[in-house]
Amino acid sequence: MEVERMKSQKNHTREVVVVGGGVAGMQAAIRLAEQGVRVTLIEKKHELGGHIRSWYHLFPSFTPAQEVYDALHERFASHDIELITSAEATEINPTSVTLADGRVLHTKAVIIATGFEIFDARRKEEYGYGLYDHVYTSADLELLLHEGEAGEGLAGALGFTPRRIALLHCVGSRDEKVCQPHCSKVCCITGVKQAIELKKRFPDAEIFNFYMDIRMFGPGYEEMYREAQQKYNIHFIRGRISEASPTFDGRLQIKAEDTLTGRPLRMSVDMFVLLIGMQAGPNFGLPHADSGFLEPQDLFLGNVVAPAQAGTLGGLFYAGTVSAPKAIGESLNEGIAAADAAAAYIKQK
Amino acid sequence: MRFFAPFCIPFIIGTAFLFAALAVKWGSWLYHLPRADKKLIGRNFFTLATPKAIWEVIRESLLHARIWRVNSLLGYMHTSLAFGWFLLILVGWIETTAYVGLRWVPLQGHVFFKYFAASAHLGHKPVFDFLMDLLLLFVLSGVAWAVAKRIVHRFMGMRRTTRHIVWDKLALSVLWFIFPIRLIAESITCAVHGGGGFLTGSIGTWLAGWVPRSTLYALYEPAWWVYSICLGLFFIAMPFSRYMHIFTEIPLIFLRQYKLRSGKKITSYDNFQVEACSRCGICIDPCQIQTDLGVNDIQSTYFLRDRRYHRLELSVLNNCFMCGRCEQVCPVGINLNTLRQNSRDKMRNVPNEKRYEYFTSVPVEKNSAQSKIGYFTGCMTHLTPGMKQAMERIFTATGESVWWADREGGVCCGRPLLLSGETDSARKMIDFNTRLIRESGITTLVTSCAICLKVFRDEYHLTGVELLHHSEYIERLLVKGSLKPARANDESFTYHDPCELGRGCGIYDAPRAVIASVGVLVEPEQTREMSLCCGSSLANTVIDDGQQLRVSRSAVDTLTATGAKTIVTACPLCKKALARGTSHNIRVKDLAEIVAERL
Repeated sequence: MEVERMKSQKNHTREVVVVGGGVAGMQAAIRLAEQGVRVTLIEKKHELGGHIRSWYHLFPSFTPAQEVYDALHERFASHDIELITSAEATEINPTSVTLADGRVLHTKAVIIATGFEIFDARRKEEYGYGLYDHVYTSADLELLLHEGEAGEGLAGALGFTPRRIALLHCVGSRDEKVCQPHCSKVCCITGVKQAIELKKRFPDAEIFNFYMDIRMFGPGYEEMYREAQQKYNIHFIRGRISEASPTFDGRLQIKAEDTLTGRPLRMSVDMFVLLIGMQAGPNFGLPHADSGFLEPQDLFLGNVVAPAQAGTLGGLFYAGTVSAPKAIGESLNEGIAAADAAAAYIKQK
Repeated sequence: MRFFAPFCIPFIIGTAFLFAALAVKWGSWLYHLPRADKKLIGRNFFTLATPKAIWEVIRESLLHARIWRVNSLLGYMHTSLAFGWFLLILVGWIETTAYVGLRWVPLQGHVFFKYFAASAHLGHKPVFDFLMDLLLLFVLSGVAWAVAKRIVHRFMGMRRTTRHIVWDKLALSVLWFIFPIRLIAESITCAVHGGGGFLTGSIGTWLAGWVPRSTLYALYEPAWWVYSICLGLFFIAMPFSRYMHIFTEIPLIFLRQYKLRSGKKITSYDNFQVEACSRCGICIDPCQIQTDLGVNDIQSTYFLRDRRYHRLELSVLNNCFMCGRCEQVCPVGINLNTLRQNSRDKMRNVPNEKRYEYFTSVPVEKNSAQSKIGYFTGCMTHLTPGMKQAMERIFTATGESVWWADREGGVCCGRPLLLSGETDSARKMIDFNTRLIRESGITTLVTSCAICLKVFRDEYHLTGVELLHHSEYIERLLVKGSLKPARANDESFTYHDPCELGRGCGIYDAPRAVIASVGVLVEPEQTREMSLCCGSSLANTVIDDGQQLRVSRSAVDTLTATGAKTIVTACPLCKKALARGTSHNIRVKDLAEIVAERL
């Protein structure tokens, strides 16, 4: 476990501030430190890591998230990086970052790696999250899997053994009704991964994934999707669930339409998992898309660079999901790309 | 004395045409009225309804009382034109009689009396000269307002005014000219023959002072020609233009007093409503599709215009929340929502028989628990299960045994289909639910959905079953003392009137009483009869999600301006719509939820 710590050296003239200590921010800080750039990383929570700390196994290889984090953290700790935790940035300029407690960090460039927020499933009231028992989000399930591993298995963590499970894709993604027009990209494969995890623990359970489209964009994803169907006998039904309601015997009844056969269907399930999407975090007054994610200069050669604004000549860079939903591997890559762009920027200055 | 001169011909033609057109229009509309409507007229003709209608005609067609209430500047404009012109005709008739005694005088004799009187050297009656000038001035002031309104409508307290068709523009232009030209013609007459009151007489004297007499003579006849042509043109344009409302409103008032109504299907009575629209444009400003979305061609005035000229497009017809805000301000009292609904029925009603086959497989039986109270959740409440849970808690707290319509096979209430014009399909739903509710043996049916309530009250025949909105039901329980929520004196709530509940069913006070029992109610600026629509109305099938959101946000802004941290509403659709327009620190709750959380 990470403990709060703060390295502060005398005469540390800061060159780059990285805002956000998730995987993208950590990777960016490491890469800058490797190049001898004096870097400060600020993290709003009391420890590093961001969302990866809550995940159990990562798709598509079932690598424990902890392993990835530990390796990354080991590299981080081996460098001379100033770390300020429990510090939230309220205002970001290319040459300064203001913290919630009023401190101002002066710098030559800033990398914004503030990531995403998890969609609040209560906003889709019709699914009964927070109202009914046995409705979980995909984030809850990751924590339950952790808990199960540490204790009496998933059934122990849940308190029951489900016989039928429904997973619903695109909750808070591709849904204009909740102002989330974008695709969150990682939920499809998370849904497949979690279905397999559930099937491994409850081999007798029937598992249904309700989807609009299945988007298997990454290496090994399509293969995993095929395996889910062929090896694990997981059912995929194209159609969104319209509502859930509790039954007299304490289960949940879900209503949906199988849009491939054109038939409405009702089903009682013991467990209902909502695959929640990524929602944009704060935008710091920077240009952003309708979805709220920050827009880089362009999507090709300037994809980690903030658009040049009136009065500024660059100095702001983006890494990770702050600019769009991304998988962990992609966020790690962007950490490097943003660090290199920032290093080049301060050298040329 | 002959009351004829060649310049009268345009006027005579125009008048004859107008009367013929009116006879044809009214005649055919009345002839095509449904049998039941004709019976109503017969039954109510010799009752108090007739004098009431006459009084209403005076109040509305002449004095325009309702417009005065909406906007006094517009009120003055309409009164001066309508009542002023009417008085000019009436006093003119008295004047003629005073001069020539009680005898038949052709219409042009009254209208151009000044000309004939002067030509025949009938002498002067200063009282009439004064009265007629005063009235002319009154009408002219109205014309001046009308011109000013066209140029700067903000000046009249209107943000927007109607865009007109060619016939309207023609009629409007000649209407503006009629009275100034009359002033000129009469003044020249006075200049040549003397006489006239403070207006025409003074101008006449002044003209005689510096215009050569030969010029005055040369202008004398032409001025009367122009006046006659203007009148003739106006009368010819009238049946084709918005000015048809002047004469259509009169029979409309009578028929309305005889209890004729528009319904879900188009009838001949609708013609009276459609052509009684003066396109005054008062309906434009309250329309949120205009204020929030900048769409300027769908408002009731344009809908009625397009329907009247048979060029109604679905994109205009369906782009309406049917929130009823325009109906609230319509000075003619036209049933705008009903007309839009029956237009939809005509253009969209395509029942699909197969879709309702499953009704036969639903068993309809008496409720085993013999509950007297039924609860109709409604589809939308299923999408806001927090409300459903709250109602469950309230029922439990009262100890009532409740028959749940949707658990016993209840289907959609039919209102969404009705609003979209699928009248016949809606009827299938309505009939099915009616049978189900009747068989259940309940005596009270509670619903937490304002949309369902509206259709229950308007379309369901459920004699013996009291239909209550949950706000009314909860209010009763509070009064009876069977519910005792803890009141928070320091928590303030603001209330959003759902369109279907407030303007739709006239329920404004029950929800307020319920809120007052759990906290402090603060009213937004636009409330009750003029409350805003949440933007997600089922009636609008044209706008997209982003546009719905914009309407919702502006409604939320009005509500949060009160400073309340909780917006309370009484309709699941409003709840969902407002929730997405709010920021994180504002709660949107249903009435039942704020009560249940304090039990």
